Amino acid sequence: MTARASLFDAGKLKVDESPSSLAQDLLNALRLGLIGILVMLVAAFFFSGVVGPLFALGNVEETVMDVLTRLALLALPFIAYIAAASVARPYTYTDTARALGLALTTTLILFAAISAGHYVFNYGVFAPRPSLQMTLSQTDAGLRVDAIVAGGAADIAEIQVGDVITAIRRDSVDLTAFNRRLSQSEADAPLRLRFTRGAEELQETARVVLVSDKQLSVLLPGLALGLVFTAIIVFLPGHWAPYIALVGLLSPLMVGYFWVIVATFSYRTEGLVPLDSSDNIGGFTLKNWESIFAGNISGLEFNIWPILMTTLTIALVMTFVVLLVSSMAGYALSRMHFPGRRFFLSFTLILHGFPAITLLIPIFFVLLRLGELPVIGELFGFNSIGGIALVMVAFQLPLGVWLMKGFFDNIPWDMERSALIDGASRFRTYWEILLPQIRPGLLALGIFAFIGGWNAYIIPATYSIGSGVSNLPVFLNELIDETAPVDWNQVAAVGLFQLIPIFIFFIFAQEYLLNIYAGGTKGSS
Amino acid sequence: MSEPNSKAKSSAALVQSRRNALRSYLGAYGFMAPAGVLVIIFFLIPVAIVLYLSVTNLASSNFTSDLARMEFIGLKNYETLLNDQFARKIFFNTIFYVLVTLSIFNVSLALVVSLLTTHIDRSAGFVFRALWILPRITSPVVYILIWKRMMAEAPFGILNQFNELLGQPTYNYVSTNPWVFVVVVNGFIGVSFGMIIFTSAIESIPKDLLNASLVDGSSRMQRIRFVILPLIRWPLLFVVTYQTLSLLTSFEEILLLTDGGPGLYRTEVWSLTAFHRALSNYFGNAQWGYGSAFAVLLVLIGVVLAVIYMRVFRFDELIAEPRVEAL
Amino acid sequence: MEIRIDNLTKKFGDVVGVEDLTLHIDDGEFVAFLGPSGCGKTTTLLTLAGIYKPTEGFIRFGDRVINTVQPKDRNIGMVFQSYALYPHMTIFQNIAYPLKLKKVPKNAQNEQVRQVANVMGIGDLLDRRPGQLSGGQQQRVALGRALVKEPDVLLFDEPLSNLDARLRLTMRGEIKHLQKNLGITSIYVTHDQVEAMTMADRIAVMNRGHLQAFDAPDELYDRPKTRFVAGFVGNPPMNFVDVEVSRSNGRFIAETDSIRLALGAERGSAPAGHDGAVVMGIRPEDIQIDADGDVRGEIFVVEPLGREDLIDVRIGSHSFILLADTERQHQAGERVSLKFDMSQAQFFDPRTERSLLWKQ
Repeated sequence: MTARASLFDAGKLKVDESPSSLAQDLLNALRLGLIGILVMLVAAFFFSGVVGPLFALGNVEETVMDVLTRLALLALPFIAYIAAASVARPYTYTDTARALGLALTTTLILFAAISAGHYVFNYGVFAPRPSLQMTLSQTDAGLRVDAIVAGGAADIAEIQVGDVITAIRRDSVDLTAFNRRLSQSEADAPLRLRFTRGAEELQETARVVLVSDKQLSVLLPGLALGLVFTAIIVFLPGHWAPYIALVGLLSPLMVGYFWVIVATFSYRTEGLVPLDSSDNIGGFTLKNWESIFAGNISGLEFNIWPILMTTLTIALVMTFVVLLVSSMAGYALSRMHFPGRRFFLSFTLILHGFPAITLLIPIFFVLLRLGELPVIGELFGFNSIGGIALVMVAFQLPLGVWLMKGFFDNIPWDMERSALIDGASRFRTYWEILLPQIRPGLLALGIFAFIGGWNAYIIPATYSIGSGVSNLPVFLNELIDETAPVDWNQVAAVGLFQLIPIFIFFIFAQEYLLNIYAGGTKGSS
Repeated sequence: MSEPNSKAKSSAALVQSRRNALRSYLGAYGFMAPAGVLVIIFFLIPVAIVLYLSVTNLASSNFTSDLARMEFIGLKNYETLLNDQFARKIFFNTIFYVLVTLSIFNVSLALVVSLLTTHIDRSAGFVFRALWILPRITSPVVYILIWKRMMAEAPFGILNQFNELLGQPTYNYVSTNPWVFVVVVNGFIGVSFGMIIFTSAIESIPKDLLNASLVDGSSRMQRIRFVILPLIRWPLLFVVTYQTLSLLTSFEEILLLTDGGPGLYRTEVWSLTAFHRALSNYFGNAQWGYGSAFAVLLVLIGVVLAVIYMRVFRFDELIAEPRVEAL
Repeated sequence: MEIRIDNLTKKFGDVVGVEDLTLHIDDGEFVAFLGPSGCGKTTTLLTLAGIYKPTEGFIRFGDRVINTVQPKDRNIGMVFQSYALYPHMTIFQNIAYPLKLKKVPKNAQNEQVRQVANVMGIGDLLDRRPGQLSGGQQQRVALGRALVKEPDVLLFDEPLSNLDARLRLTMRGEIKHLQKNLGITSIYVTHDQVEAMTMADRIAVMNRGHLQAFDAPDELYDRPKTRFVAGFVGNPPMNFVDVEVSRSNGRFIAETDSIRLALGAERGSAPAGHDGAVVMGIRPEDIQIDADGDVRGEIFVVEPLGREDLIDVRIGSHSFILLADTERQHQAGERVSLKFDMSQAQFFDPRTERSLLWKQ
């Protein structure tokens, strides 16, 4: 190293050749860990102390910043462990024991530091929580009081050891239900307990108190979690990290879609767990699907077929018209020479950036006037499938025209010249020679238009009255709004029913979808 | 052939030439006509109507679809809007919604996802990106249904299962944290746009450049910081501006999710207000004029930003003159 | 079909494609448009095809002014550089397309397509699609499609430039043979002067939108009328050097600071009459390495071409390209004597770049 000639003698790199000592590594790891803690604390303060109050000035009643603060504080120890583990990781190839020892020692110290902070500030596991200051155990008869804190809430309510609690007010409770009820109570909330003492039936009202029982033993699970976490981080192959991050980020979505699928085939679900009619796990059923076709969900009667037809009509009309109209305009803009071409092109681009949805109000009036015209009014007026489809076509046109123009631009000019010399008219050239060659573009735009039409909610809902022209999404929303209580599993079945073509497109045409949902803007970026 | 004869033929040809040009233009306009008519009916006329409506006091009580019979009240609607204390709250709500959603999801998370998916196996990256498309192709109604269930209270809600497990209180998050819900739900839809733009920008960085930076001694993190991020500045700017407009004007999800509630205007945003006032008023008193005043502001912002895109993103370079002049 | 182009100008906005072009092509003639890219040759061809409309001037097919006639009504066939075969149609459909548009009955279509395909040697490929064919086969299909409607005029737009060298050689012969047999007036655009020289009856050399020369190949080579033509036709290109030509004692001398060459009267008298320096051009084959040579120079680079060596010789500040026998095994740095065949020298006016020997 030293013998090699350097290009820049003055700034010669100094390489520390002695291996770093264990103490040095430990200090290093702790330093990094503390930086991690500090960063997260600053983040938490930024959300709760700076951004939150700023928006509070504008009278925005939000809890987003609270959640972000909590997330930052929750992530704090893990960030610290990751920072510390990064010092230990290089040793995993040479000295496993050293890597593990270093990581676990650091974790232990960081954990102690963080816990001390929690202890002092009554945070995390030391945060005060609602309690009645007694210990209970589940028995066949009910919840037996095993111990009570002298002078505590239960003691004040004159509950004694050996009493068996059976219900809160009139709701009989088991231990889980009791704890849930308790945990949702606020400080000083009265809980009227029914209990038996010997053969006596009694009831007393206990007032909830917030207690922070600072028992250090509650820290043990946290410590175990921390140690395991660090050990995993130290030995995790580096190229797994992005996958884990991606799966983590996607998990809420995946869980949601998983729920729809599970829910449609079961009586009811708690979380993601399907339950049958007697609350056991399992219980596969098709009754949700049957009720769709039987036309009765939670007492709301309907006929699914006309709704399906409406949805399909809107989607297909849209697909067809969007393809035809945008490919014609795209062809003219790409291939033809006429006064105003530049104007039309720039106008298309402006429309492409313009949010059509802001015109919802005036279009209502346009449709009303269209409805007053003879013949056209029947087809395209307010409260007609044609009108709804036409509005949606118009909204997709700017993108469609722009996209089609791009595809036509990519066909060699010689193709067009050749067809003209062979004797074709412009229309024939467009129809017979060029359209077949932009099939991928037509397919992409077609799928886009179909999905747009199939999913449409706001336009059909706004421009139609009554169920005569309601499509699946409108119907589904009606189902959620107008039935009470909502049978979520049946609603989910309708939702999944609506999702079927979407899933099919998703599975077979991902590439097209990915391309087109950038809004045909790839060329400009 | 004698000279005069040739001259006569020539001038005849010139007349013919002009006639031909006209015919070829008519052909082009024929191709443009369907799109043109739709654009006029559903873009140009509506812009005029919304401007007009915003200076009338049209409401359910004096409703007419005849523009001539509407009552002109000048800028009164705008005056009301300025003095409306709820309008002020809604204004700040909108800023909050756009800023928070944009910064956390549409830009940051989109960037993170595109960086992650471009640093793993190509086909795996593609699958992950495709999955992010799902919220965008799912009907908003179904998508919201899913999220409502996620956020519902125990024992049904999915998120609350964790609370149960940890012995924490359970909530219906839609009513306790409506803004979190609104931001997250819209954010998960918004990720895909930026993700696609960023990914194609990252993938278009020459491979040699990326390899060179590693050879020069940077770590992968440093390469992202010093090579990739500076090179995707333009797409970043594009996504920020484009998505700002999208978030400003989209209200479908909020409508289905909280409908501006719970409570008075807790999660109401500007575009939703326009819709509520004019098209979906629970009290049965639609205020077309006042609603239009709200909409006009968005229309103006939309036009200005759209024109800016055209300028900034080099429209002129996209135009190539056609290389066929025949009809 | 006789083609008369009179004062043709084509502009794209302010950009001039071709300017004031006058050119008469005889019936059955094979004419090549030769020039570097951007010289306006393809623009002229597309204007002839009706794809572009002339800005000024007239084009006549026979007696008919066709300025405003649509391409489909001109009865022309065209072969493109990219072949422009319709990828979604089979070979049969491709060739039959012009007939279909002419509303030729199905049976007749079938017969004519097969006939053309057999002539082109692609009779067994009719069910394939263009993507499945090699470049040479695609070229034949394109030619077949152009021929099937029995055009009055055949237009070729650099049809061979996408083929490999060997195939180009065979196709060159085939196209020429076919054209002579069918007697169709043909215009062939190319930037490859070998193609133009070997195939065309007459060559129109173009540069920057202007016609430089329109002559038979030999004329162009031996009697170039402009410096551009002299430099563009011939490979390796002609050497140019600025000289002063003077007359002394009935002898003509062309000289620079380091070269002094004697000239005959038939080449020397015109440049000697010119005031000041002139540009002398001499082809590489007219310079020999010869011990008796009267000019001495040093070899700078030797590039072996196989059959002969291309040698760059420096004389003072001048550089000459010449061809030499490989057996002599010349080396860079070697000092040699050169012998110039001055009876082949060309002279040009340095300002107008017109030849001083041959009047236009």
